[in-house]
Amino acid sequence: MKYLLITLVLFLSACGSLPVVNKFPDAPTKFSMEKCPQLATVENGVKLSELTKTITMNYSTYYECAVKTDAWIEWYQIQKKIHEDIK
Amino acid sequence: MMWFLSFIPDAWLNLAVLSILGVGVLIYVLSYFVAFIPTLIPAKEPIRIIGTLLVVAGVYFYGSYDTEMSWRGKMAEQATAIEKAQEQSKIANAKIENDAKERIKVIYKNATIVKQYIDREVVKYDETCKIPDVVVKAHNAAAKNEAIK
Repeated sequence: MKYLLITLVLFLSACGSLPVVNKFPDAPTKFSMEKCPQLATVENGVKLSELTKTITMNYSTYYECAVKTDAWIEWYQIQKKIHEDIK
Repeated sequence: MMWFLSFIPDAWLNLAVLSILGVGVLIYVLSYFVAFIPTLIPAKEPIRIIGTLLVVAGVYFYGSYDTEMSWRGKMAEQATAIEKAQEQSKIANAKIENDAKERIKVIYKNATIVKQYIDREVVKYDETCKIPDVVVKAHNAAAKNEAIK
């Protein structure tokens, strides 16, 4: 029984993972892990210029978020190709 | 059971396998000359059996060694491919990061230009064009992505 157990352990040892492991690729950019911020709002009685500035700021926030999303899409496509080339 | 072979250097394995095979062949050949030494004649058959067993074991181990070497080769190949892929990934990430930084810089540069334009031109209509509260309500609801009542 003792020898049988030792033999089983030896056989199970062979089921260990391969020593060659591919690391999961890093995020595309440092800032791409940040969530998109909430858009700015205005108070009642706001001036036309202030409202226009807030809208401009909100558009910039949108475009910044679009850049982050585009970075993730490009990152995925490139990483997928790199990963497929390994096999 | 052959997993432990991965801890033994290639040269040692090769030497051990060839030694077993060589000794087996030598003992087997010597078993034919034992017939000329009268005192060893009774041991002729056991010697031949030992030689044969060693040759069989040697051939078996040679096969295992070959498989082991083939796996080591594949693992080395895979390790090189992974190293290359990780390098490519780093280069791609650096390019994506630079492009994104550049695009964001342009976005905020243009926003600053628009704000300067607002300060210069739109500000002239601040007194004449009053913003009704309903406009503020609509803007804020859209900004927060809320349903408007």
